[in-house]
Amino acid sequence: MQVVEIHEPVKVRADFLGGRITPLFLKRNERVHPLVRVNARWVDRSGRQSRHYFSVTDKAGDVYQIVLRGEDMVWMLENVTVP
Amino acid sequence: MDAGKRDSAMSLAMSLPVILHLDIDAFFASVEQQKDPRLRGRPVIVGAGVIASCSYEARAQGLRAGMPIHHALRICPGAVVMEGRHEVYRCFTDCIFEMCRTLSPAIETYLDEAYVDLTGTERLHGPAEAVGQRLRADIREATGLSVSVGLGPNRMVAKLAGKAAKPGGVRRVREAEVDAFIAGLPVRQLPGVGRVRNALLSRLNIHSIGDLRAVDRRGLTAVFGADGHLLYDRCRGRDTRAVNETEVPRTLSRETTFHRETADPDEIEGMLYYLTERAGRTLRRLGVQARRVEVRLRYPDHKNVSGGTTLAAPTDRDSELFDTALARYRRLHTRRVSLRLVGVALTRLSLATGVRQPDLFEAEVCPEARGRPGLYDALDRIRTRYGHGAVVAGRSLELLNTLRRDDFGYILRAPSLTK
Repeated sequence: MQVVEIHEPVKVRADFLGGRITPLFLKRNERVHPLVRVNARWVDRSGRQSRHYFSVTDKAGDVYQIVLRGEDMVWMLENVTVP
Repeated sequence: MDAGKRDSAMSLAMSLPVILHLDIDAFFASVEQQKDPRLRGRPVIVGAGVIASCSYEARAQGLRAGMPIHHALRICPGAVVMEGRHEVYRCFTDCIFEMCRTLSPAIETYLDEAYVDLTGTERLHGPAEAVGQRLRADIREATGLSVSVGLGPNRMVAKLAGKAAKPGGVRRVREAEVDAFIAGLPVRQLPGVGRVRNALLSRLNIHSIGDLRAVDRRGLTAVFGADGHLLYDRCRGRDTRAVNETEVPRTLSRETTFHRETADPDEIEGMLYYLTERAGRTLRRLGVQARRVEVRLRYPDHKNVSGGTTLAAPTDRDSELFDTALARYRRLHTRRVSLRLVGVALTRLSLATGVRQPDLFEAEVCPEARGRPGLYDALDRIRTRYGHGAVVAGRSLELLNTLRRDDFGYILRAPSLTK
């Protein structure tokens, strides 16, 4: 397994139902990746604003780590794990 | 049972001490398996150089924490090695420990375990076993991680009960069951018995905790000195340490393996400054001071050298700690080859009294030294709020071009040591 660091802003469509964030689609380089599973979620509260991290799997089976930054509400693609 | 008897039974139950010990099973490896489902069911190793944590699948093949990774891969070639990220693991423990704090204000946390004093909370939360089961299920629901929970009349028994419940179980050992429960356990599981003492006890034909009870207090103190008293009590299930008690650690160390072996003095000394600064911050958070600074180096051929310097007076100031560490490092690094690892350890720790022996000439030599406690206090508060990486100071600026950085500071190669 290799983790490829990316750290770039991406577009994410997410469900905020009941105060729980669930990413549904990820758009990168004009390509939409439907997300089929949220593998793990964790919140970093160490800074002034919380950051919500998600590990998600898309339809092709790739695993992405994305983060919603509380300070500017920007979604970032942190890394992708390749087999 | 009539109401009076029930009330007296309840108040008796409420007065009995109950300590909960929680341990996250194969912590780092389990987080990696949560993050990537492709890793589930596979042997996973987290670490750099040596195993910091490995999954149960890897343990089944004989891998253990502390084992060199190259050796582990010979035993288990199919294992997946991940370097790991401590800042991610910390978010998971923050969430878990926050759930523990809802049970009791008396909580003591470590890297992947916690003690919670449930004494007197039965009327509020219900029976301790049910609390343990509920906590375990809530943690699983919130994080996906498996935890083992032990309940006992004191910390030591709670921890041993948790160990017996691994992985993912809940076990309670009541006061009346303590004797029978611990007597059959291997003596190695007793706190205070490490590898060396275990070997010594084996030579004396002492293998279980019950065997150790045959030795009287005088015999144990003759062999182990003052620790003999502790072992005498512990093998009888006695442990009076309170949860949340401020304990002065014996040593406080920070060390890391370089991403690439280096001979660059700026990088090495910058890392030494960074590690000293991080250790100094922890020192001040614990309210302790160090009397001795030790430095450890490892060369590419895995040969280690270490040495320390005793200070004239205990201190918690980064500048004094670093100057001492730097002088010692320069004396230690005698081979003209690159380094693989550098580490600093602060020892002979004592509680900070708030009184510091003033240096008669300090103000003349360095007038700004007077304001240093205030400076460290301000830096610590900024870093506590915004992360250690919010301020990069001194020689650690040298690392800006070589290491990646996030809010928590530089991303070091050994995840368990970036704490």
